[in-house]
Amino acid sequence: MIHPSELISAYLDGELHGPELAQLVDHLGGCGRCSAELEEMQRVRAAVRSLPIVEMPPGVVPEADPVLVPLRSHKGMWAGVAAAVVAAVIAVAAIVTPEPGSLTVDELNSRFGARASLDPAFGPAKVVVPPMVGE
Amino acid sequence: MRRLVAFVLLFTMMPAAAAAASELDELLEQSQAASYSAEQMISCATPDGERNALVRIEQVGDELRVTSSISDGVQVVSGEGEWTLKRGEGQVVQANVDAGQATTEPLYTVEEEGAVQYLGRAAMAYLLIRDGEPRAELVVDEETRAIVEAVTLTLDNEIYCERRFVSFDTATPVIDDGTEAAAKTAPSAIETSSLPDQISGFELLDHYVDEDGVAFAYYSDGFFSFALFETANTVALPDAELVEFGSGPYSRVFTAGQVTYVWETRDFGMALVGDLPPDMHEAVLAEMPHPEDPGLFRRWWRALFG
Repeated sequence: MIHPSELISAYLDGELHGPELAQLVDHLGGCGRCSAELEEMQRVRAAVRSLPIVEMPPGVVPEADPVLVPLRSHKGMWAGVAAAVVAAVIAVAAIVTPEPGSLTVDELNSRFGARASLDPAFGPAKVVVPPMVGE
Repeated sequence: MRRLVAFVLLFTMMPAAAAAASELDELLEQSQAASYSAEQMISCATPDGERNALVRIEQVGDELRVTSSISDGVQVVSGEGEWTLKRGEGQVVQANVDAGQATTEPLYTVEEEGAVQYLGRAAMAYLLIRDGEPRAELVVDEETRAIVEAVTLTLDNEIYCERRFVSFDTATPVIDDGTEAAAKTAPSAIETSSLPDQISGFELLDHYVDEDGVAFAYYSDGFFSFALFETANTVALPDAELVEFGSGPYSRVFTAGQVTYVWETRDFGMALVGDLPPDMHEAVLAEMPHPEDPGLFRRWWRALFG
């Protein structure tokens, strides 16, 4: 696969499924350039989405009174603030994201024991002794 | 003339080998049908130190209840593909599997070593041999056919694990696990597998995927066996030793009679649980997916989407 920028956009838009999605993920796992591109695009999109919508006081721009106008002034400053917020959110998410559900030693033992009990060789000759918790 | 003698010898030896192979199955199946209660001492000399356990065993037909005398309040009831583990009060792990019986030709031959006395009872000693090397000694009670002693050996003929009955009562016990079903793993569906059919002489007997997407494959050489687990998540193995084999690090824990290895590949968390003697570990692990750092992105992806 040659640096699939359009697939990255489609992925971010939620339009990628099935084999295409798997192919992209596989590619991202081994391609630093595309991983960086994905991160950059995510950062930019998040920054844009996080821009505040501010209601102008009536009369400041009479022709704009009935509508809400996105604040475009001081764009550079707001983008910087937004980027900082996004970075903070990512950092916090990385810390608070729960550990994925993991298999425990008890579960491993139980499944091995259940299957082994169908074996003729299972029994006193190979009793599966459950380890102590924390052993 | 020499060729003729060789052919005659070959064809007279082949049925003997087949008979010996079926003897092991017969021996083990007879022991499964025995009913008794006993206390068993398990003592293993592992590379990470000695592992000992004293367990109470009650067997009725195919059903076996094991109560650990060291791990207070730990009890296991198993048989016919079901397993219930109870720790203390009410904490229960259950699993059951549906599987056909192995159709593999055992790699072991059985040599009768002669009559012995064990706990004052008449018994018979057998030696299990694989590839010309003794790998286990079994002592079978003559009356009940229970295996009252099992000693597994390393390739250097050193003792790896000894399991000896220290008391033996042939009265039929009543087995009641006394537990209510808690989190029971649903019967697993057998699937075809991309895993190798043979690993270092161990044959893939069946391969399951449960409702949580955890795959496990079961391998046996007719006596020793191990299960291989494959999960999108991680496998928790507290207090493990970190060991290096071939291409990477593995976390390892020995308990009395059992070893557990845990490692990570690019796509999966992996675990091996089995009763293999240490000399078999490296050869078995070498034929499995190797340890590999999946990288931050894949870890996040697996954590979020499985």
